[in-house]
Amino acid sequence: MENRTDKNSYTIIFAIVMVLIVGSLLAFTASSLKPNIAENKRLEKQQNILYAMGVNENDETSANFVSTDKAPELFKKYIKKQLVIQDGKVTEDDEAYLIDVKKEQANAKSGKARRLPLLEGEKDGKTFYIAPIRGKGLWDAIWAYVAMDENMVIQGAYFDHKGETPGLGANIKQRFFMDDFIGEHLLDASNNFKGIDVSKSNADPKNEDKTDNEVDAIAGATITGNGVAAMIKSDLKLYVPFFKNLKNN
Amino acid sequence: MGLLSKKDAKLITDPLADNNPITIQVLGICSALAITAELKASIVMAVSVMAVLAIGNVVISLMRNIIPSKIRIIVQLVVVAALVIIVDQVLKAFAYELSKTLSVFVGLIITNCIIMGRFEAFALANKPWRSFLDGIGNAAGYGLILIIVGFFRELLGSGTLLGFKVLGDPIEKTGLYAIGYENNGFMLLSPMALIVVGIIIWIQRTKNTALIEDH
Amino acid sequence: MEHIELFFKSIFIDNMVFATFLGMCSYLAVSKKVSTAVGLGAAVIFVLAITVPLNWLLDQYLLQPGALSWLGEEYASYDLSFLSFIMFIATIATMVQLVEIVVEKFSPSSYNSLGIFLPLIAVNCAILGGSLFMQSREIPTLGLATTYGIGSGIGWFLAILAIAAIREKIRYSNVPPALRGLGITFIITGLMAIGFMSFGGMLTGGDEEAPKEEKTAKVDSKKDNKEVLANNIKVNE
Repeated sequence: MENRTDKNSYTIIFAIVMVLIVGSLLAFTASSLKPNIAENKRLEKQQNILYAMGVNENDETSANFVSTDKAPELFKKYIKKQLVIQDGKVTEDDEAYLIDVKKEQANAKSGKARRLPLLEGEKDGKTFYIAPIRGKGLWDAIWAYVAMDENMVIQGAYFDHKGETPGLGANIKQRFFMDDFIGEHLLDASNNFKGIDVSKSNADPKNEDKTDNEVDAIAGATITGNGVAAMIKSDLKLYVPFFKNLKNN
Repeated sequence: MGLLSKKDAKLITDPLADNNPITIQVLGICSALAITAELKASIVMAVSVMAVLAIGNVVISLMRNIIPSKIRIIVQLVVVAALVIIVDQVLKAFAYELSKTLSVFVGLIITNCIIMGRFEAFALANKPWRSFLDGIGNAAGYGLILIIVGFFRELLGSGTLLGFKVLGDPIEKTGLYAIGYENNGFMLLSPMALIVVGIIIWIQRTKNTALIEDH
Repeated sequence: MEHIELFFKSIFIDNMVFATFLGMCSYLAVSKKVSTAVGLGAAVIFVLAITVPLNWLLDQYLLQPGALSWLGEEYASYDLSFLSFIMFIATIATMVQLVEIVVEKFSPSSYNSLGIFLPLIAVNCAILGGSLFMQSREIPTLGLATTYGIGSGIGWFLAILAIAAIREKIRYSNVPPALRGLGITFIITGLMAIGFMSFGGMLTGGDEEAPKEEKTAKVDSKKDNKEVLANNIKVNE
């Protein structure tokens, strides 16, 4: 006895119908939710940037953003200038913070000039320069917003990731890791760019030495840690000429 | 048991021990290793898998008479993937914070072979209600192992449980650390998850000798 | 050179089983006998070698943000990346289904012995993992994607071959009864994974200031691995 569902014609019709239903369902949800998702992502960027420059609602142990309804207003208040650096030229752009770092990195690879966004913020009379950077962890993308002063000393950082291992690599977005970066120098003693290593052997778990260009690694998250160090080294290096200029003027 | 007949209840209780998806059926191992360094992640994963498996089982069971056998794998995968993606998108639009916590698990859920395994082995041949129970039961058995492994790895590896420092502070040297206890960072590495599951199997089969394999 | 580096990296350093713990289910369940392990391993290499480049094309010309620009400028702003999962899976499932049909037709005996695990290749996370890693690591060319697919497949093949060989030998050892079979396999895999971790220092940790102890550890583990491979060869003979 041949089963009705074994026939080739049935199989093909079933496949076509299924593709149509699933496809339209997915396309419908995606397109109808797109504005909401884009808005959420925009707010998140503002929250991240504000977090890096110290505008956040941190309690003793956990990292908390300012709430989403307050973010746009605070963003306007604290971010004074939005700059784009391209080929050494600095221009202002009100949507510099929306620049997709991933796309710019791809552009740079294919030989086009990379646009580097840099946000200038001011809080309590202090100026912060916040740069978004992006790299690879163990499983997928990792990225960060790093706030520096004019000497390239880190004033705050927010790290995030797409899919690092929970409890290990995912801990880069925990306070105990991010706070270690505060006060760390990106330049070495002779003012050359050195970056910051995520080190397993710096014997400084409380991170008291701020000029050693090292922070303490997370146990069990070597590859994510290497990714963080590599991302800082390669992406923040591009901003060095800007800071040199800043000092000379 | 008013609601569940004896046979139905077995669908839930069996996978908890004697027919556990991880230790007996060998399904869903990858995720058991990947995310058990932390108890919280284990619990989140267990709950997500339960939701997906129960709903997916019902959907597949409802479709079981119309799915062409030649392309059943594609159909099953597309159903799970579509389900998970839609939920992910909706969460991204309306509960962004929650979606960020769960986004790590999306890929792991779709490729979790426990889901495909139960579709193939049960939902394709059974009625929706029984498939639903089977989904709940298997996900519970899976979650149980995840939580046990997560408990030991977090406790011994980081000295915390759900993020709370239950053994004292390793840097300030309080609690257990004051008398020289050290965290075993090795527990956080994935190979240790394999060894912990191995030990669970050992204990389970010592108690229930019927499960012992003769090579 | 790029190809050789990626090839060895995907076999040893990023070994699917021992470094990223993907494809564990079929690895544990089908490793009782070397002959079936070889069959499944070969199937995995085959499926990975086809699906990774195929998905690379999909990703490059359909899914990435801006990937549709070959259709014309007005399509450049589309971003279909939310479809990656489902597209990758559909490609993989189609391939697996094809393999299943072919194997069933031409070799019913191996079809019977692979049983439920042939369809399970489709959810063998090593396969989807291969495609997702290809996407997230932004592998630049089709050629490299193929190399990566074949390399990770061979890595998986080696792993299942090694454990199957060990399991065939361990049959003659006096393992505690309750640990026999699955239990001891879990523990051996854990130990092998610890050994493989030392490969991690080979390419990624190439810093000049890497401590010396690490280097000696590397040499030791290479020896171990050679022994494992030697065992395999013996069993195969």
